[in-house]
Formats: sequence, structure tokens, C-alpha cells
Amino acid sequence: MNWVWFHRFGSPPWVYGFAQRWAPWFGGIAGVLMLVALYGGLILAPADYQQKDAFRMVYVHAPCATLSMAIYTTLAISAAVGLIWRIKVAHAAAAACAPIGAWFTVATLGTGMLWGKPMWGAYWVWDPRLTSELILLFLYLGYMGLRAAIEDPQKADKASAVLAIVGVVNIPIIKWSVVWWAGLHQAPTKKLGADADITWNMVWPLLLMLLAFFLYFVAVFLIRLRAELLRRERTANWIREVLA
Amino acid sequence: MNDFLSMSGYGKYLWPAFALGFGVVVLNLLLAWASLKSAREQAKRRLEMRS
Repeated sequence: MNWVWFHRFGSPPWVYGFAQRWAPWFGGIAGVLMLVALYGGLILAPADYQQKDAFRMVYVHAPCATLSMAIYTTLAISAAVGLIWRIKVAHAAAAACAPIGAWFTVATLGTGMLWGKPMWGAYWVWDPRLTSELILLFLYLGYMGLRAAIEDPQKADKASAVLAIVGVVNIPIIKWSVVWWAGLHQAPTKKLGADADITWNMVWPLLLMLLAFFLYFVAVFLIRLRAELLRRERTANWIREVLA
Repeated sequence: MNDFLSMSGYGKYLWPAFALGFGVVVLNLLLAWASLKSAREQAKRRLEMRS
């Protein structure tokens, strides 16, 4: 197999150009899909027989929660690639992920609290899922804080990469906490196919919103990656060309 | 319309949750653009100082 195409992702000017070209497409498609999914989730989907219309929180809470974990996993993999193969773009990608993921973790916790109050009677409980998601927020903040605290970019890359890799152990804990331990947070209910737990009219807006959020993440990530590359490649000649 | 906004009595929780979630979507985009703009300006200043 020819892996030359993959090597291009190690080239900062190529990645900068790629990000510049593709971010508007990802963002535009994500915006359209979000509007369709919102229409499906708020208008077309029937009310749940137990939670009534409160279940519609799933169309914002689940995509935020999924992204908060997926972004951290992307961050940790990028950091590991940067650490092992010393690829600068990988460290830049990890750094670009952190603020986006941190904000989505805040949104996950906030929307979860607003769902928890009417369902559990409390905004916050020290449930394993909620607690491990809170730890994820601290991991994001710790990663960004560590990077900001070390002046030498190479040392900052290495130290923050180690933290990111160690912290990734929290991701399966978040994912499986509802199965491993008894808590208030519900276990996964979504199954597709003949044994689906919820009607298709509820499922498709959720799947569409998940896709929209992922495409949106790619768009924002590419914008942040361009900023990271500009800051890192301080004296590179290609910067003069892209800024001309 | 009132029924839609009420969301069977859960509107006071549902709408703030949507506002928070999609507020973060908008905020992330604005912060990314601001970060890129700032990085471009810094890079331009560096290039001017070098030349």
C-alpha cells in the first residue's frame, strides 16, 4: 500500500492548506444537518411515554457527551503520535483539541444537570458517570494549564502528552461507569435493528445530530489547528506565503 | 405555540439546556476564529520585524 498520502499530514504547510480548504465545507454541512436534526428532535419525534418531552434533552446532551469523550481520545492519540514519532503537527493537533473538548465537557455537565433536576430531583449527585465526566473536565483543564505553564514548546509538548496519555484511562471509565456501578444515570438504551429500544422517529434525529456535531468538531478543530501551526512555525518561510 | 414552549412542563429545563449546548457550539466557533485572527496578526508582526 502506498502511504505517501499519509505522510503529508506531517507537513505543517500542507496541513495548513488542507485545513483552510476543508473547514468551511465541514462547518457548512454540520450547520445544515444540525437544523434538520433539531427539526426532527423537537417537532417530529414523539414524546417519551415516561419522561414526556424532557427526553428531548438527549438531542443536545448526548452529542455533547459523545464529543467530550471522542475529542479527548483524539487528543490522547495525537499526543501519543507526537511523543513517539516526534511529529510537530500531531502535538499541534492535540493542543487544538483541548479547548474544544473542555467546552463540550462543560456543556455535557450543564445539560446533564438540567436533565437531572426533573428526573432525579437534584442538579448534581456524586454518581459514577457524573463524577468521571467531571474528572474529564479537570483533565482538559490540567492539560491546558500544563501547556501554558511551560515556556519551552518542546518540553510543554512532552509533559502535556504524558498527562494526556495517562488521562485517557478515564474514557472507558466514563463509558462503562453506568454498567460497572449502580448509579442514578441510566444505562445505554439505544439499540438499532429489530430489538431497538426506541422508535426510529426518535433515533434518526439523534444519529443525525451526532454526525452534525462530529462534522462541526472537525471544522472548529481545523480552524484551531491553523492557529496552532502559525504560532509554532514562527520563522518558517511558508508562513510568509500563506499570509501574503 | 404555548404547548411547544411548555414541553409538557419541562420547558424551564429543556430550553436552557438547548441554549447551553448550542451556545457552546457558537462560542467554540467564535473562540476558534478569534484564536486564528490573533495568531495571524502575531505572525504578521513577526515577519515585519524580521524584514
